Amino acid sequence: MRRYKLDISDREFVVDVQEIAADRFAVVVGDESYEVTLSSDENLGEATITPGFQAGAAPRVIAVNTAARVTQVPAPAAAATAPAPRKPAAGGGKGTLTAPMPGVILEVSVKPGDQIERGQQVAVLDAMKMHNVIGAPRAGTVAEVYVTDGESVDHGDAIFKYMED
Amino acid sequence: MIDHETIGLLLKGINNVTWQSIVMLGVSFVLMYLAIVKDYEPLLLLPIAAGCMLANLPLSPLIADDGMLKLLYNLGVTNELYPLLVFVGIGALTDFGPLLENPRLILIGAAGQFGIFLTLILALLIGFTPNEAASIGIIGAIDGPTSIYVSGLLAPHMLGPITVAAYSYMSLVPIILPPIMKLLTTQKERQIHMAYSSRKISARTRIMFPIVVTVLVGTLVPFATPLIGMLMLGNLMKESGAVERLTKASAAEIANTVTLFLGLAIGSTMVGTDFLKPSTLAILVLGIIAFAVDAGAGILFAKVLNWISGGKVNPLVGAAGISAFPMAARVVQRVAQEEDFENFLLMHAMGANAAGQVASVVAGGVVLALMGAGG
Repeated sequence: MRRYKLDISDREFVVDVQEIAADRFAVVVGDESYEVTLSSDENLGEATITPGFQAGAAPRVIAVNTAARVTQVPAPAAAATAPAPRKPAAGGGKGTLTAPMPGVILEVSVKPGDQIERGQQVAVLDAMKMHNVIGAPRAGTVAEVYVTDGESVDHGDAIFKYMED
Repeated sequence: MIDHETIGLLLKGINNVTWQSIVMLGVSFVLMYLAIVKDYEPLLLLPIAAGCMLANLPLSPLIADDGMLKLLYNLGVTNELYPLLVFVGIGALTDFGPLLENPRLILIGAAGQFGIFLTLILALLIGFTPNEAASIGIIGAIDGPTSIYVSGLLAPHMLGPITVAAYSYMSLVPIILPPIMKLLTTQKERQIHMAYSSRKISARTRIMFPIVVTVLVGTLVPFATPLIGMLMLGNLMKESGAVERLTKASAAEIANTVTLFLGLAIGSTMVGTDFLKPSTLAILVLGIIAFAVDAGAGILFAKVLNWISGGKVNPLVGAAGISAFPMAARVVQRVAQEEDFENFLLMHAMGANAAGQVASVVAGGVVLALMGAGG
């Protein structure tokens, strides 16, 4: 199970997500539980996030209690005040290094602002109980690191991003 | 009154020391060194070494009728109980996910068993009986429990050397495999990247897999039913998630207890007069040939797949087609990364390795069928 704590327009939400199958999740938001079917999981690269962005079907939510409960979650006021997502969707984009396989990040060896060389150790990924050193694909400066020690990542999840040259 | 007879009784131990028993005590010390200092499969080699030492002490009561080591041997080696229980534990620890994501890897697992049959022929030519030759060939799969199972049925008198060979070579996979891999592949081939498809495998597929494999293999190769049945039972318990306590017990408590019993019992068969024979040396040499040919066949087959797919298969993955799960796959990943740090073959290698685990069990069943033995 994973627990997400979200601050949306100064309201705090605690969201617990448990994977039942690859595309089915039990989700608890506050005191309400939902069964969620993931009908699409798209990598939109570095597409800018805006309200009303259209990209395929939205996830279908089946409320276990009543459908009306879903509307309890207030919509973010406006794009300007809504917090930007910290992490890009799977796949990342240009200038982003992604996880080569699923596993757990054991160690993050760089921080934003670091000058790194090609091949330098960026992180250690435990996959299938083997420690894999993830090296930097090119020299550059680290702009943002998206993972922390002990975090599990899926194939394609962003690890860090280079500063724009 | 101390007469000659009393002295003889008191010194009975010393008087019964033979040169063979001294050599075997030396062998047990070497095995202990390998297990404790070198960390070579210590979980099995240390009990084997202890069994060997205890059995070779003069007049050892432990291997007399009703001696503890003899009892352990009769309890689970002659009737194949121990290797089968170990397999339940292996099944509970094996993740077949990478194989299910990429099912064509099963072919590499099959190719990785070629050395078994080549070594079988080689052993026949040297003068081993067909049953002995088959047991030696199985060493090539680098699958300890299958080796014990097959040789226990076909050539129980060779159980000691075959088990020691199988487990020693298993621990030497990181040392023996890389030179074979480098010899048979070009640098360019080793640098081939393989796209990883993160296909999600549903829980239902994961649960169906062990059931389907058991029914399929059991029907096709009845001699493999005990091995595949137990391997897949462990996996079914793991993937179903319904019996976590049983899965945990199989993978930990039962497997550990059985490993101790198995190691002691196997070690106790290594008695000087039986072990110190030219045939033991021949078994060790043939075993490593079988290993090398198995790995080589896997690599060459992966080369064929690479050619057919138009350069999309890194031949190194073929080396994981031997059993020795998951060590062989890790070695593949390491060698590939030495050439190119951005190359991650691990998931493909794990798939081929899991396939090799299944294939070596099936090969064991095929060998038993060929010899018309087993049950």
